[in-house]
Amino acid sequence: MTRSDKNTSDTEIETLFAAARSAPPAVPDALMASILADAGQMQPAQPAQGGVFSWLRALGGGPGVGGLVFATCVGFWIGVAPPANLPDLAGQLLNLQSSTDIDDSDLTGFGWDIEEG
Amino acid sequence: MNMHAGNTEPDTEAELLARYAAGDPAAARLLAAQVTPRMFAHALRVLGDQAEAEDVTQDAMMRLWRIAPEWRAGEAKVSTWLYRVVANLCIDRLRKRGSVALEDIAEPADPAPSAMQGMQQATRLDALQAALNTLPDRQRQAVVLRHIDGLGNAQIAAILDIGVEAVESLTARGKRALKTALEGQKDALGFEDDTI
Repeated sequence: MTRSDKNTSDTEIETLFAAARSAPPAVPDALMASILADAGQMQPAQPAQGGVFSWLRALGGGPGVGGLVFATCVGFWIGVAPPANLPDLAGQLLNLQSSTDIDDSDLTGFGWDIEEG
Repeated sequence: MNMHAGNTEPDTEAELLARYAAGDPAAARLLAAQVTPRMFAHALRVLGDQAEAEDVTQDAMMRLWRIAPEWRAGEAKVSTWLYRVVANLCIDRLRKRGSVALEDIAEPADPAPSAMQGMQQATRLDALQAALNTLPDRQRQAVVLRHIDGLGNAQIAAILDIGVEAVESLTARGKRALKTALEGQKDALGFEDDTI
């Protein structure tokens, strides 16, 4: 094979490669449809944008919201029926005073006021 | 050589994959339109069989959808990763095919030549495919990736998981073997010279 033959040979095979590149096989429609159907089935769900769900996520999701609800219920119940030994923090803070009527008839009967004269 | 590797920007492919993983319904269609033709063409050239090429392409794309949520941008190009999956699936098919005679392999479908291209081009492409089918598997993959898919040696090395020097050796030997295989078809090829 001469040098000229080799060069011609390279040119011709490059012509074949170029022909293959310029005429790629068409993707069958059914194949593309199957690929897109697979994509649809396997695609992760799109996260919700805004709204109530975003608030719930910001609060920590289910566990966070559950804790909040529980704490609210406990606080409400303590307000309605406080335990006997619980200090009246609200009264102290608001400086409220309570009055109690005292029956002093026994003190009068004791006689100390008579002795005084 | 007309190097047309990476017809789309890799960043675009990675971005579309990220959008797909985030639930964007339009991303899958755009990404599939970009990469599927290249993967299908490669599989068809390597396998020489339309049905098998379709199976391999769909399988590779399904793996892409599956890995999308875990894809880490910047570590690899989407198209390189896909080529690698397709190449491995093709090798699996070729090995299973084992001793099947070349004449038992279905003739490839004509790559949709337009009327303008004419019968001569279709004949040449058939001759090229028949010659490709005679090459050893790895040589065939390397030749198709280099000379038809138009990829660079570094990318081919990553796809075939070999060194760049091995790619150069494979493509050189493959091209020589291709010339030899085409020797007997010069009439069909329609070239004026009497040598390939």
